Amino acid sequence: MTRRSLISKLALAAAPTFAAVPREESHTLIHVFLRGGADTLNLFVPHADDRYYRLRPGLAIPVKDAIKISDHYALHPAMKPLESLYKEGRFGAVQSVGVDNTSGSHFDCQDQMEHGDSMHGTPAGGGWLGRFLRLNATDSTSALSAVAIGTVLPESLRGAPAVSVVERIEDIALKNSGDSAKAVQALKAMYGADVTLLGQRGVETLDLFQRVSALQGKGDAPEHGAAYPKDGFGAGLREIARLIKAGLGLQIACIDLGGWDTHFFQGNASGTQAEKIKILAEGLAALDLDLKSHRTRYTVMVTTEFGRRVYENASLGTDHGRGFALMALGDRVKGGRVLGTWPIQAEEDLNVNTPGPGGLHAETDYRAVFAEVLRGCFSAAEVTNVFPGAALKPVGLM
Amino acid sequence: MKLTRRHLLSTAALGLASCDRVVTQINREFLCEGVPGKMPPPPAGVDIDPDFHLLSRAAFGPWPGDVWRLKKMGNEAWLEQQLHPERIDDTACDLRAERFESIYFSAGDAYEFRKPVLRDEITRHTLLRAIYSKRQLFEVMVEFWTDHLNIDLEKGDCIYLKPSDDRDVIRKHALGNFHDLIRASATSPAMLVYLDGKSNKVRRKTDDKPNENYARELMELHTMGVHGGYTQQDVYEAARCLSGWTFDRNRFFALNAGESFFKPDWHDDGEKRVLGQVIQARGKQKDLDRLVEIVCSHPSTAKFIATKLCKRFVSMEPPASVVEKVAAEFTRTRGDIKCVLRVLFGSPEFAKSHGQLLKRPLKFMVTALRALMADTQADKPLLEPLQRMGHGLFQYPTPDGYPDEELPWMGTLMWRWNFGMALASGKQNGVRVNLYELRKQMHFVPEAWFAHLIGRKPTPEELATLKTEDEAQFVGLILASPAFQRC
Repeated sequence: MTRRSLISKLALAAAPTFAAVPREESHTLIHVFLRGGADTLNLFVPHADDRYYRLRPGLAIPVKDAIKISDHYALHPAMKPLESLYKEGRFGAVQSVGVDNTSGSHFDCQDQMEHGDSMHGTPAGGGWLGRFLRLNATDSTSALSAVAIGTVLPESLRGAPAVSVVERIEDIALKNSGDSAKAVQALKAMYGADVTLLGQRGVETLDLFQRVSALQGKGDAPEHGAAYPKDGFGAGLREIARLIKAGLGLQIACIDLGGWDTHFFQGNASGTQAEKIKILAEGLAALDLDLKSHRTRYTVMVTTEFGRRVYENASLGTDHGRGFALMALGDRVKGGRVLGTWPIQAEEDLNVNTPGPGGLHAETDYRAVFAEVLRGCFSAAEVTNVFPGAALKPVGLM
Repeated sequence: MKLTRRHLLSTAALGLASCDRVVTQINREFLCEGVPGKMPPPPAGVDIDPDFHLLSRAAFGPWPGDVWRLKKMGNEAWLEQQLHPERIDDTACDLRAERFESIYFSAGDAYEFRKPVLRDEITRHTLLRAIYSKRQLFEVMVEFWTDHLNIDLEKGDCIYLKPSDDRDVIRKHALGNFHDLIRASATSPAMLVYLDGKSNKVRRKTDDKPNENYARELMELHTMGVHGGYTQQDVYEAARCLSGWTFDRNRFFALNAGESFFKPDWHDDGEKRVLGQVIQARGKQKDLDRLVEIVCSHPSTAKFIATKLCKRFVSMEPPASVVEKVAAEFTRTRGDIKCVLRVLFGSPEFAKSHGQLLKRPLKFMVTALRALMADTQADKPLLEPLQRMGHGLFQYPTPDGYPDEELPWMGTLMWRWNFGMALASGKQNGVRVNLYELRKQMHFVPEAWFAHLIGRKPTPEELATLKTEDEAQFVGLILASPAFQRC
C-alpha cells in the first residue's frame, strides 16, 4: 500500500485496521523445543513390545509403574499430569516423526528442523516460523505477534518481520530513565499529530504497550489454582499464558526445555530424565489449567531434534536415534491417541558397535506435521511456501 | 598514521577489553572521532537543512561537525570525495572493524569457522563500518547492493560463503560498474548456492533440465525487473547459458577449491537466443559474459535500477523526471555507478525530497549512534535491539532483500523508542555516550538538540510536547519522535 492510498483510505474510514478483526479472536501456536534429542520412547512406553524390555534392561519403564493408555502404549509415570488431557482427547502424539538428516548431530538436526529444511530438498531462507510470519504478515503484525521466551532468538524465528525475545512480560516496557507517564504522553501527542501510516502505527503501538502495562500491574497469579514448575520453563509458560489471556494478537510463542541428551544414567521411572519429564508434564498441565477459560485459543506443539535408540548403552544411557514422538495439546488437536506406526529397527539389523541411525525410523516427515499444525492454528494461512518443495501429506493430528 | 592489521592483532593479543578502550582513546584523540574542537550551532531553519539532508541520505546521518564540514567544502566537492572512498583515510574505523578474522577468508576456507562466529563477525563488521567509516556513501551503497543482491546467511552453506561475497562482490564493486557487479555476483560461490546455480547442469545425452532459479532472479530482481519484457523462454535460455558454473569446496587437487568454476560437461553448449539476441553454440564459459552483457544493457535494466535507487534515496514515489535522468545516465555510462549517483544527488528532485523517507531500523540505529558520538564495539547488546526491530543483518529469507516500503517496519516501533531512550540516558548496554560534551558545544540550549538530531528547528507544537526538565529524556524523546524516524 502506498502512503497516498493509505491516507485516502484513512480519510474514508477513521477506524484503525486492527479494530475490524478483534485480536481476542486470534490463535496462538506455542512451540516447545526439547533440546538435546529427547528419548520419547520412555514418554510413550511401548509396553506391549518385548523388544523394548529386552533392549533396555536397565532403562525400560516397568509396566507396573507406567500409566497404560492403550494396548500398545503407556505413559511414563511422570507424565501423570497429562493423563486426563489425553483421555479428554486434547493431548496426543505422532510416533516416529523425524528429519531426514542422518548425521546424528544435535546442531545439524536442530538447524535443519528450525529452518524447515530437508537434506534432499531446496533449502529456503530463514526459519520456518520466520517464513510463515513473513508470508502472512498483515497490517496488524506487531511487536507481540511473535515472542520467544529467553534471551536468544531461536533459529526457527529468523526472518520474521517482528519478534520479541523476552524472559518476562515486564521486559515489554518503555525503558525510560525519567517520568514514564510524561514519555507516554509525549509519544502519544507526537504520533497522534502525525497523519501518516507512521502516526497510525505509533498510536497503535502505544495502545498495545498500555494493554501490556495494565497486565503488569495485576493478574500475575495463575488462574484456577494452576501451579507451574518452579523453574525457567514453568516461568516462561506462565508468561505465555499471560500474553494469551491479554488478547494481544500473539501468534507464535517459542520456548525451550533443555537437558534431554541422556547418554549417561538416564534413569527410568525416576532419575535424570524423569525429572525433565515431570517439568514438561507439570508445565503443560499448568498452562492448560491456567488457560481454562481460553481453551480454543491456543495449540501447543512439542518437538525435539531426534529420538534416541531403543537399546541402552553401557553407561545406562541412550544414544542418538532418528524418529521421535511429536506431541500436541489443545482443543484443535485430535488427541487421545498416538498416530503413526512403530517402525522399530529389526533386531537382526541392530549392530551395537556401529554408530548410525537406530531406534525408530523417521517415518513421518516432520514438515508434514509442522504444516498441519500451522494450518490447524491459522486456517487461512499460506503454508505451502513455508516448506517449498515438500510433500505435505495429511497426518491427522489436527 | 597508518596501522596495519598485524599491528592491530598484536595489540588485540594484549587483551581485548583494554584494547577496546585504547582504540577509543586513540580515535578520540588523534582521529577526529571526538567532539570537534569548535562546533557552530546546528542548522535551525524551518525546513531540514539541505546539507543535513544530503548527509541523511548519502550517509548514515551526520557525525557531529559533519554538517559544518560539508558546508565549508561545498556539497559537490563533498560528494566527489565520497565517490572516491580510496582517497579518504579511514584508520579510526579500521581500528574498530578490521579485527574480525573471518572476513578475510576465502569461500572455501571460511568453513573453518563455527556458524555463530561467522554470523557475529560479518554483522559486527558491517555495523561498525556503517557507524564509524568516513567513507559513508560507500557504506550506504554497500547496504543498497547487499539488499539488491540479497543472500540469507541461513540458507544452505551461505553463511560460509557470504563473507567473501561481501568483500569480493559487494564492496569491490559498490561504487564501480554495474555490469562488473552483476558479473561478479553471477559466479560468487554464495550466489551459486543461494539461488541454486551450483546445481544448474545440462549433461549431454541425458534429459537434464536447467535449474532456472538464478536465471529468473537475475532478470526479475537483479537487472530488468519483473515486467522488464523478458519471456519465460528467455529465462530458460539464460539458464542454459549459465549451466555448468558451479561450486564444490571438496574438489581434490584443485588449488582454487574455494572458488567457483566452470564444468564443461555440465554446460549446454548449443545455440541460445536471449532477448532476441543469438548466442552462438560452443561459447562455453563465455556464454555467461554474453548473457550478463545482454541483460545489463537492456533498457529495462537502466529503468529498474534507476527506480530502485530513487526509491531508496529520493522518495518511495519518486517523480518520473528524476528516474528518467538517472536511467539515462545509467545507459549513457554503461552502468557507471559513480556517474549515476552524481546525477541523482545533484538533482533538484533530490533536494526537494527531505523528510520523505522512513529510516529502516539499521539507519535509525546508526544515525542515532553517530549523532550522539557513541562509543561501541557493536557486540551482542547492540545487535540484539537491531534484531528486535526486525532488521538482523544478512538474515532476510527471500532473494528480494529487506524492503524499502514502510509497512513491514511498522510492527517494531516500540523497540525503536526503547533504543532511543536507553541510548540517550546511557542505559543501552554495549554503548557509551556522553551527552555532556555535546551539550557544552550547544551552549546548554536544550532546543539545539532538536536541530542537531533532525536538521531543523522544532515547531512550537513539537517543542511544547517535548518540553521537560530532564535532558536525557528530552533527547530520548526526540530519538523516539516521528520526525527522527524519517529522513
